[in-house]
Amino acid sequence: MEKSRDDFVIAIRSAFLKKGAQQRFSLLGLIFFSIIFLVLGSFNFKVVDYVKIIIKETVYRSSFIISGPENLLKKNYSYLKSHLTLYSQNLKNITDLKNFRSKDLTNKILILENNRYKKLIDDFFIKDNEIYAKVLIDKQSPFLKSIILNKGSRNNIKLGMIVLDGIYLVGKVVEVNYLTSRVLLLPDINSKIPVSLQPGDEQAIMSGNGNENGVLQYMKNSDLKRNIDDLTILTSGAGGLFISGIPIGKISKKSSNNNQAIIDFYINFSQLKYVKVINFIKQKGILDLSSKEGLQEMDNQIEEEKQQIETVRILKEQKKISEEVRVRIQEENGILKHRAIKLENELRGLKENLKKVELKNEEIRLIEFKTLYEKKCKKTFYNKLYKVGTPEYKNCILNKGKIN
Amino acid sequence: MRDIDNANLKARLHKFLPIILLFFSVLNEFDFNNLGLKYFSFNFSYILIFYYSLKRNESLSLVSIFIAGLFNDVVSGLPMGTSSLIYLLLCGAAAYLRNITLSPSLFKDWIFFLVTILCLNSLSFIILNFFFNFEIVYFDEIINVIFTVLFYLIFSYFFKFIERFLLGNYYAR
Repeated sequence: MEKSRDDFVIAIRSAFLKKGAQQRFSLLGLIFFSIIFLVLGSFNFKVVDYVKIIIKETVYRSSFIISGPENLLKKNYSYLKSHLTLYSQNLKNITDLKNFRSKDLTNKILILENNRYKKLIDDFFIKDNEIYAKVLIDKQSPFLKSIILNKGSRNNIKLGMIVLDGIYLVGKVVEVNYLTSRVLLLPDINSKIPVSLQPGDEQAIMSGNGNENGVLQYMKNSDLKRNIDDLTILTSGAGGLFISGIPIGKISKKSSNNNQAIIDFYINFSQLKYVKVINFIKQKGILDLSSKEGLQEMDNQIEEEKQQIETVRILKEQKKISEEVRVRIQEENGILKHRAIKLENELRGLKENLKKVELKNEEIRLIEFKTLYEKKCKKTFYNKLYKVGTPEYKNCILNKGKIN
Repeated sequence: MRDIDNANLKARLHKFLPIILLFFSVLNEFDFNNLGLKYFSFNFSYILIFYYSLKRNESLSLVSIFIAGLFNDVVSGLPMGTSSLIYLLLCGAAAYLRNITLSPSLFKDWIFFLVTILCLNSLSFIILNFFFNFEIVYFDEIINVIFTVLFYLIFSYFFKFIERFLLGNYYAR
């Protein structure tokens, strides 16, 4: 008993404490080390965190490299799979293409109609370029109300682009550098924006007053006094720089006292952090609203497309009918073929029967004539006629004797 | 001369193969422990470490096993040190078996491996659940243990085959 316990202890000691020839650390030492690692990991020591971060960075990158071949295999597998499914995919694509082509004409009509309606409401601009930018500098100068953005010509910022904060108008780009750009804010005295007052669609020009408000210029003040609480200021879209309907602000209550239309902006210009820079361009293919010829042309186009659709529909119907006729003809053809084969078989049977009857008749005649004309045909010692059973003998009998 | 070079290359490959396999298995995105199958997963690292610690302990250094454990923890998101501890204990168990075995038999190794991984998985469960509040699905663990034990036989033959292929019958144990 004592001995076996000693053996166990020796084996355990040898396993955990003895360093092998190639080993630098004992097993027990490393086990302790991992326990320490575990324990320290549960506390938030900075040094341990740094070590962890270093190990993680190394492992993530190593893992990325080692997984390279596997990812390559996966990629090749999907590549191969796509090759194998190419045929079925192609068939599917052909079907889809057919469907899309049939829808294409309808879409064209819708687009043209849509353009026409857009044209009618004077909203024919589309978003061309949308960039989000951070406000780098918002230093308020008494001379210029502007902000500096961290995006410039490198990011496709162009002069005159509109700057928005959410849906509200902030200003427009007035200076573009390679990495930065300057935006002229609405309160700046040099900012002139064509606006409309809603409801009522009163047109005016809004200018900044150099402080935190804007003022309306070139408008009738009579309407203003009546509806002061309800009036909202939107861009009118006149001039083509802005699209219509971008909200700007409301008429301030100070207006009635000052006898001047003062605008309170929806946004606080000192709190701008991130803004959206947008460019609107005139949609291609749109014709000028004022031109009646243009509208006529558009209507003609729509009519043409409609005619095309009608033609396609008729052709499809025709195709359908032709298809039905073809199927019917094919069916009839099949029935006739079947009948012809049947008749042919019957004819062949009749012919065979006829042959048999003929043969029988011949045999009967042969028997009849045999008794009468055998002497005239049968070979004996003293004549040179035909041997019985030969075809010559048969002919002789049927001819009622030898023909010289 | 060419034959010598070839033999040398094979010997080197044979020497480093376990380490390469171990690090490849822990660092690779593909994980036998998480194949995405419901009733199939096994721990290749356990098999590799146990087999080579038992049969050729010189080819897998303890430090590399420790590091591989750390890597495994980082990749699988376990608390760092857990896998190292388990791997090293597995090594210790294999070393103990090696010390007490006079006539090696695959069946005995197999049974010992089963007992060892059952104990080690229990320990791993205690560490992860009690100390680090990790949720562990018992059923998946059991499936993993069963397949790991079953695959030990297959992989032991496979490793033997590789040894024979690389070194020839004489040197393969």
